[in-house]
Amino acid sequence: MSQLKKLIQISLAIIAITLLPLSTDNGFYLKIFFMIGVNYLAASGLNVLVNYTGQKSLGHAGLFAVGAYTVALLTTRLSWNPWLAFLASGVVAAAFGLIIALPALRVRGPALAMVTIAFGIVVEKIVSEWQDVFAGQQGIYGVVPLSIGNMPFNAQQWVWFVGGLGLIAHLTLGSLLKGKYGRAFAAVNASELAAESVGISVYGFKVLAFIISAVTCGFSGALIAQQNQYISSDFITFSLSIFFLLIVLFGGKSTYGPLLGAIVLTLLDAFLARWPEWQHFTYGALLLFGLYIMPNGLSGLVSGIAKKLKLGSNQSGVTNYDAPSQAWRGDTIDQQTKNETLLSAQDLCKAYGGVVPTHHVSLELKTGHIHSLIGPNGAGKTTLLNILSGIVKPDQGNIVFLNTAITKWPAHKISNLGLARTFQNLRLFTDMSVLDNVKTGLHARMKSGLWANLLSLPNSKRQEQEANVKAQQILVLMGLADRALDLAASLPYGMQRRVEIARALATSPQLLLLDEPAAGLNPQETHELIDIIVAIKKLGITVLLIEHHMDIVMAVSDHVIVLDYGQKIAEGRPEEIRNNTRVITAYLGEDDNAADSNDTISHGSADLAGGTHA
Amino acid sequence: MVALLQAVFSGLALGGIYGLVALGFSITHSTTKTFNFGQGEFLAAGALIGVSVVLMMSGHPITAALNPGDVTPLRYGIAVIVSFAVLGLFGAILYFTAVRPFIGLSGLAWVMSTIGFGIIIQNTALALWGPTPIVMGSPVGNDVIRIAGAGILPQEILVLFASIITMVLLDIVMRKTRFGKAVRAVAHSRNAAILMGINVPAIVVIAFVMSSGLAGMAGILVVPITTASVFMGLSIALKAFSAAILGGLNNPRGCILGAFLLGLMEALIGLWHAELREISIFLVIILVLVFKPEGLLGQRQVEKV
Repeated sequence: MSQLKKLIQISLAIIAITLLPLSTDNGFYLKIFFMIGVNYLAASGLNVLVNYTGQKSLGHAGLFAVGAYTVALLTTRLSWNPWLAFLASGVVAAAFGLIIALPALRVRGPALAMVTIAFGIVVEKIVSEWQDVFAGQQGIYGVVPLSIGNMPFNAQQWVWFVGGLGLIAHLTLGSLLKGKYGRAFAAVNASELAAESVGISVYGFKVLAFIISAVTCGFSGALIAQQNQYISSDFITFSLSIFFLLIVLFGGKSTYGPLLGAIVLTLLDAFLARWPEWQHFTYGALLLFGLYIMPNGLSGLVSGIAKKLKLGSNQSGVTNYDAPSQAWRGDTIDQQTKNETLLSAQDLCKAYGGVVPTHHVSLELKTGHIHSLIGPNGAGKTTLLNILSGIVKPDQGNIVFLNTAITKWPAHKISNLGLARTFQNLRLFTDMSVLDNVKTGLHARMKSGLWANLLSLPNSKRQEQEANVKAQQILVLMGLADRALDLAASLPYGMQRRVEIARALATSPQLLLLDEPAAGLNPQETHELIDIIVAIKKLGITVLLIEHHMDIVMAVSDHVIVLDYGQKIAEGRPEEIRNNTRVITAYLGEDDNAADSNDTISHGSADLAGGTHA
Repeated sequence: MVALLQAVFSGLALGGIYGLVALGFSITHSTTKTFNFGQGEFLAAGALIGVSVVLMMSGHPITAALNPGDVTPLRYGIAVIVSFAVLGLFGAILYFTAVRPFIGLSGLAWVMSTIGFGIIIQNTALALWGPTPIVMGSPVGNDVIRIAGAGILPQEILVLFASIITMVLLDIVMRKTRFGKAVRAVAHSRNAAILMGINVPAIVVIAFVMSSGLAGMAGILVVPITTASVFMGLSIALKAFSAAILGGLNNPRGCILGAFLLGLMEALIGLWHAELREISIFLVIILVLVFKPEGLLGQRQVEKV
């Protein structure tokens, strides 16, 4: 059904692109059609970067320039075939996209935006001042246009060509964004830490998004240079970068957003060309008020109206699932023999200035056990968890997990090896459905590659189907099946905590780190949590639990580790810990009556936790 | 050697300009985590307004050319004050129209809206003054002063002094006065500051007024060295931001250090290969971001997990 619908849509688009240039032989209108196509092409890639991955770039005129000057120089200086030069422009632009993405490793937000501005300015300076090569304002004439046989494209053929490219970009990027890549981009956008924790390389996906946007911008530049048969430094301005960004922001976060944005803004641009002083003024006003009036852009406005017209339609594109027939079993969880060392950490230290949250801590986690990590507030429990999961690098010490030294590994690699975690302060992908949150956890287990997803190959579709089933199974296990299609943000707090555990389980971990999973839960939910933890243990997954609720710790733990002021002060079976004088001292202070300590530990510490974490 | 000394002086003067603008970035960033991406346009507007004030006081229309005798120290002084004041007002308008609606929202809507505000300012300026650069002499004369053989423009010395005095004053205000302590409290924790009875909205508006005012002042100060034009701002603002990153965006003293380092670097590289000035500065910034993203004097922000 949806296949048929898609086929009809594509056919209609092809018919429209074919007929549009035939409807007129007015050169001005044809040029406008062409410009809409070029602007759409640039914006389609930038949409992935800006709207989906959340990286604001203000330097894409620089990448446009890279594409334009690549074809210009290759065809005029080296007499390359125009088609070959056109393809080369995408490749060279991709290389520059990689360069502009390098700072993205270290800076984010506004500083990254500034860096991209600087990149755009540097390119602008190079092409305008390095006259020997780029001919500055005077420009390069005689850029060889694309041709059929020996006939250069005429105005109509240019529109067809750019329309075809636009359609290809729309279909491939649309297919990419629908699958695991789209979820990964959105995860990076929503929470970089959470993305890393489910095995998504944040840096890798930022680089990929930059490269995708660079390729489409590069092709746009090449098209302009070849259609005009001329390029000069006057084309490459900061205003062009702003114009591209305006198209994607104004269009909104949707695969149709850039199309709407490109049509409206290109027409506006052509219309205002008669009054150049008002042209930029209008852009300024659009930037200033556009996001205020339409936070989700034109496509958000349109889909908002559409939603009102047909109430109850399903936005997420997935409809009812049959309940999965089988219960979930992790992919890589082997039934290992119990009591083997799964993870061992030696002599871990971490200091922030004078605060030393981790001081010479060593620990050993055994397969099949539930380990608990307890200690008063500020004892360094979460820091230890962050070190183990690779989010914080220790100053010294080493960690061996599954017989592999992982001390220096990035968090996503550790996750892929089989170590999952949840967060004390929830880090869900709040704008995604519950199902998509869990499917994001399956990301690293889905083996389809970039091309399979771009071209929507059968392999990627099959993987997506399998992911749906697995995610459903996990949701059944967690008692969330009926909320699968709800937005994660719309769930009550206790359920959000469970979604986070479900997402962590989806990575098929050998070891699951739970950071205060009961924080903020009511007694009923706390009881359900105990059942969940026990169920997880039955799946063969080893658990390390940080918890302040002593009733949970005492109920489920096989082994308890106690931290105080960054040091391990005791470990052992729960009943041993209960009677350990050092532990009692750490929680309750010196000079206490040891006789009634059994009681006070469980209650006193729960109060302690409640008091400071509220 | 003589050329080197000359370059050091013009580098320091440039550094003073960058420092003023960088402080403007720092003060709004530390209080609101936002800053004005249209700062360059603000700087240009400050320059053009200042020049117009001098013109009007000499009895010319604002698009006329200046005679050498028109720029007296008194008129210039008034021009600096007017630039600061008018741009300060712009800063307040900017805050209410472009920043406040988006504070605390995810995404970088405020980046877009401040750029939009800047574009509007730029186009208004273009309509009023046109695209041609306006030349204005220095109030302290245009004869080159010789120090140890190096020729130095009097305006460079004026800029250096004016910017250092402003920076020192600002430093004292931030460290010694109630207002300064309030600003630092807001920078540290907005919520805690509210609970302590600090009028946070007022502090934030004042931060934007000061930030934009400083940009306007920097604009009129730099005019006698370069010229005044609608398009003069972008590259100065970018380098000022680079300076702030280099020294540490949240540390005002770091920003000043970064600004002087950057000014010197630019002047010295200009001595060697003028066309490599900008490229090398931005490359340095990218390197700084890779190896010490918090800047030379900045403190690394630790995200609580």
